[in-house]
Amino acid sequence: MKPSTLRTFAIVVLACAHAASTAAAQTPQAPQTREEELRARREAKAQEVEKERQGRIERVLVSLENGRLFERLLNPPEGFYPLIGHVTPGSGLSLGAGYRQPRLFGERAVFQASAVGSPRKYFLIDARLLMPRLANEAAQAEFYALRSWWPEEAFFGLGPDSLRREHANFSLGNTVVGGSGAVRAGRLLMVGGRAEYLRPRSGQGRAKGIADVATLFPGEEIPGFGAPTDFGRFEAFADFNYREPLMNPRRGGRYYVSYALFDDLHLDRYGFRRLEVDLQQYVPFLNDRRVFAFHALLSASDAVAGQQVPFYLMRSLGGPDDLRGFRRHRFRDANLLLLQAEYRWEVFTAVDAALFVDAGQVAPRVSDFDLADLETDYGFGLRFGSVRGVFLRIEGAFGSRDGKHFILRFGHVF
Amino acid sequence: MSSSAPSVFAHSPRRPGRLRTLAVFAIAAGSLAALLAENRTRAAAPRFYPDDPIQVDNDREFDASGAAPIEGSNVWDFVENTFFEKGDRSPIRALNVNTMDEVPDSSWFTNRIGRFDLSPAEVGRGPNTLDAVDIDGWPIVEGKSQGVTPGYRVVDPSGRRYQIKFDPPGNPEMGSGAEMIGAALYHAIGYNVVEGYIVEVDPDRIVIDPEATTVDLSGRKKRMTMEDVKLILRRAARGPNGKYRALASRYAEGKYLGYFKYYGTRADDPNDIFPHEHRRELRGNRVFAAWLNHDDSRALNSLDMLQGSEGRRFVRHYMFDFGSIMGSGSTMPQVPRGGNEYMLEWKPSLLTLVTLGFYVRPWITIDYPKVAKSIGRFESARFDPVRWKPEYPNPAFENMRADDAFWAARIVAKFSDEHIRAAVARAQYSEPGAAEYAAKTLSERRDKVLRAWLPGVNPIVSPALDEEGTFTFRNAVVDAGVAGKPTAYLVQWHHFDNTNGNGPGEAIGAEIRVSEPRAPAPVERLQGMDFAAVRVRTEHPEFPHWAAPVTIYFRRGADGWQAVGLERQDPRAVED
Repeated sequence: MKPSTLRTFAIVVLACAHAASTAAAQTPQAPQTREEELRARREAKAQEVEKERQGRIERVLVSLENGRLFERLLNPPEGFYPLIGHVTPGSGLSLGAGYRQPRLFGERAVFQASAVGSPRKYFLIDARLLMPRLANEAAQAEFYALRSWWPEEAFFGLGPDSLRREHANFSLGNTVVGGSGAVRAGRLLMVGGRAEYLRPRSGQGRAKGIADVATLFPGEEIPGFGAPTDFGRFEAFADFNYREPLMNPRRGGRYYVSYALFDDLHLDRYGFRRLEVDLQQYVPFLNDRRVFAFHALLSASDAVAGQQVPFYLMRSLGGPDDLRGFRRHRFRDANLLLLQAEYRWEVFTAVDAALFVDAGQVAPRVSDFDLADLETDYGFGLRFGSVRGVFLRIEGAFGSRDGKHFILRFGHVF
Repeated sequence: MSSSAPSVFAHSPRRPGRLRTLAVFAIAAGSLAALLAENRTRAAAPRFYPDDPIQVDNDREFDASGAAPIEGSNVWDFVENTFFEKGDRSPIRALNVNTMDEVPDSSWFTNRIGRFDLSPAEVGRGPNTLDAVDIDGWPIVEGKSQGVTPGYRVVDPSGRRYQIKFDPPGNPEMGSGAEMIGAALYHAIGYNVVEGYIVEVDPDRIVIDPEATTVDLSGRKKRMTMEDVKLILRRAARGPNGKYRALASRYAEGKYLGYFKYYGTRADDPNDIFPHEHRRELRGNRVFAAWLNHDDSRALNSLDMLQGSEGRRFVRHYMFDFGSIMGSGSTMPQVPRGGNEYMLEWKPSLLTLVTLGFYVRPWITIDYPKVAKSIGRFESARFDPVRWKPEYPNPAFENMRADDAFWAARIVAKFSDEHIRAAVARAQYSEPGAAEYAAKTLSERRDKVLRAWLPGVNPIVSPALDEEGTFTFRNAVVDAGVAGKPTAYLVQWHHFDNTNGNGPGEAIGAEIRVSEPRAPAPVERLQGMDFAAVRVRTEHPEFPHWAAPVTIYFRRGADGWQAVGLERQDPRAVED
């Protein structure tokens, strides 16, 4: 290699080395202590500090929770709110609006009103004044007025032997004005009374493709049909309730007894008395994660001498809350007996499953009940909710003479 | 032609070729020089710095004034931790430990009972700076809008706020008692917790500030009235004297910043550099939470506060809300599932569903002693620390390794029965037998925690090397009475070069077998050395994994040898 080449080479090497060492000298001084090392890392982060960000879903949920949208929708304490549910079983999904004003009489009374309607032209308008905490919470009272219109009420005939094929319908409008009061007669016992003015009006059914009740059944089988009258209802009741938790019970029981007089105010043809006994018992085991739940309901109506129980005020069996393997109002008569038993087991925190069996019967007289000939069904269900209550239940009912039934329903069965 | 042509032809292009070669050499030489320069820099980074092991991580150095409050969603917290795997799940050593494998003091944690001998009275006092407070006459300034427990907020004459929380009617003293015990124990462990006091509220002496507001169930802010207070008191336990017992939580100083997550770091806090799922005190919290049945140990029950002076603000991180520990579920007794299963677990749920409930999860059969309403559901007989679970997965808990659990268990081991009784006394239980049962159950659960997690690693602690050349250490499991003495300790000394960043070097002499935690060091061979390393393996018939070595590094200083490093080989992952 020529000397000039060597010189060039040396110059380049020195230049590179100088550049490298200069660059090294210009890099930040290596930390000499742990504290310096951590400080350097924090200094680097300080250059990149930015606002803490939340994802869109999280932001929406925060907003919903802080704004309490669910409470507003489901159980708002004040103001207007939407209503979603059922006017009455069989009405179809109903929509409406409600209003609540909880600050009356020094916040001792709550006024609430609602109007709900369904595509099947069912509607209910309801207004009531509630005083739930009177006399230092020893008493409560309620005054109400409501107007309802149920145009397609199912009717299959009276008595336990009614036939599914004899499906008819009738309309029922009703106006009710009344009040009730109760006093606490112990930590768990409430006793009280109720007085109502009723103005029910039965008429031609509006369901397309289903016979009107008057065309399928003779007048003696539908007492009270087309005979407009008003009623005074006077009732006394006692309610012993020690269920826990109250809205989705796993233990305890509830024993409710009422006795009511329905006084025909105009015709003196349809007055009757009604005794109802409603018993619920919950037997838990395995730390309340398994529950046997029992329900018995007896409704016995006895016409005043020489009068009849109007068919439209009779209790009925069949539907998602009682005999679940039958259509709504499948059986109707003056007297009713319902027996239900469920085995419920917790699947996880928000879901319970249940096996159930229902049995029931209607009869013209209490003495006509034949326990060996009860209508029965059984089934399986899932309940979604929490200890505070069942929000939704999905059930399949089988084993009845009316075939299978699928049930999707808000709220608990009992 | 062929002979001359190449010479001419070759001559001409050879010049550029030579230049290219020259350039390549020059660049290579330059690169070498740069590499050497960089190596010089790198070589300057020793494995142990002069200030190792640090006792304090100064995470208040950079101003965090820009940090803003974060509102959390209960639903999202459940969803993201149940259905997604948040944070980094690498099974790495905790990132915020010092070189001795300990947690330095920081804005997250202050070593208390783990480093110092606290008296029972100190544990019992907890974080409180006052002996007691009497809130009668303190005006209510705000309703309590968050959480399930009924309550409101008052201010003392100096303007300091307190949050008042009441016990559920069916379980007087339960929630407030749990809060007091939890705060005392978590404070003694080392976490930041707010001050809390048991108070009695006389309904006849309640005062509402004229400007007081509350948020009703529809989310609307409104003026607070006595009817609102009555609604709150209706959900509260009333004592025989007509008064309402409550917990008064004193607001922490500073500006409210919301909560911290158990993964990642706060983007707006320059001092927050260690991912939370890799912070030892958050991983190890699984041990403490299991001990106390703190199944509500989730992100939303933490608290970040901006503290410090102007230009030197920093974020202090608190553990918050102990109303759902032990047998308390805040507004009701703890559910039987609490601490035993996540809120949602697919396998047991499906098994339960398809077997019509004949598949019985183990926790369902737990027989919770009915001792007192203030205790709720709390027991020790069926408690399994390793299988214990919070309400839903917690990324830091999921990342807990055996060495994290060991660190936490050593702290639990420092709590004597007297310490526990002192903490329980804070609850001021009035029901006969309640305090005794709570203390006994906590002690029994402590013992189970120690048996489960202390032996998880080779439990060599407190190493020392004196000038005479005697190497001593302790066995944390033996010290805690969890197991008997090991068969032997196998001690091997090594050279160690602190400048190259590698582990122990060449062995010095042969491995020494000793039966006591004491072994001679090769004093002559250590002459002139600034550093030395020693590996200790332990032979114990019950714990074969103690054969995984603990490596200890010593540095010679003016006062003799100082232990500056301790590394445990993780012998096994903590079982789920």
